[in-house]
Amino acid sequence: MQTKLNRRLLAIWLLLSAITVGYVWIDRSANHHGARTASTVVTVSAVVLALFKVRVIMGEFMEVRGAPTLLRRLADLWIVIMAATMLGLYFAGKAAA
Amino acid sequence: MWFFVFFESLVFTSYFGVYLYYRARHEQAFLRSQSHLTLWLGVVETIALLASSWSIARSVQTSRAGDHARARRDAYIAAGLGMVFLVLKVVEWVRQIQAGHTFTSSDFFQYFYFLTVIHFIHLLIGFVALGVLIYQLSSPARRDQELVETCATYWHTVDFFWVLIFALLYVVR
Repeated sequence: MQTKLNRRLLAIWLLLSAITVGYVWIDRSANHHGARTASTVVTVSAVVLALFKVRVIMGEFMEVRGAPTLLRRLADLWIVIMAATMLGLYFAGKAAA
Repeated sequence: MWFFVFFESLVFTSYFGVYLYYRARHEQAFLRSQSHLTLWLGVVETIALLASSWSIARSVQTSRAGDHARARRDAYIAAGLGMVFLVLKVVEWVRQIQAGHTFTSSDFFQYFYFLTVIHFIHLLIGFVALGVLIYQLSSPARRDQELVETCATYWHTVDFFWVLIFALLYVVR
């Protein structure tokens, strides 16, 4: 059981690290002829991927996956609040620019 | 501890929201300053902190299973990886300051230093939490599993705040 759990934790770390390295690809794909340009797609993708990683860290490393329903629901609610706040203010800034 | 996690998440989310708002209003200025960061350094820092979090998750599990020697070893590994992050962050700050990118250089670098320093302070407190965790695992007379898990939860919180800061400072366009 211990080995199985530890393998699961290893797989989770590999997944989180792979997403982190994937940011390099996202960053490069956003360049136009080597020049850095603003991109809503990249910004939204970066935020959503980061929040996905947070949910995985909470669920697996912080063991929320096996926690009482209230904590699981609260953790999900918090991630939704964080997403709405960050993306909402980003788009508000775009509109005000 | 979970009250603290949720409260701190809201505080950090407000910082992130303000940063994204101003960034979206001044995209070109932020892009120019952001180009001075080294993405790969941020990637290595993130992977080191994720590995540290993974180690402390293993430590909690092995402690729960009664293998306290292994749990302590995993906690030391977590602290070591945390130190790797700490050293890399200091190196990055020194490189940026030597290149002339200080707190007052631009709006982007103000947010960069503000967010990374606030996180760094949380990291230093995290080392205290890891110390308490290792102290708990060191003697059969202590070994309060609930306290071990509380310290681990704090360390994971430091980790996921960095995951968000990394995406916002290094990747967002």
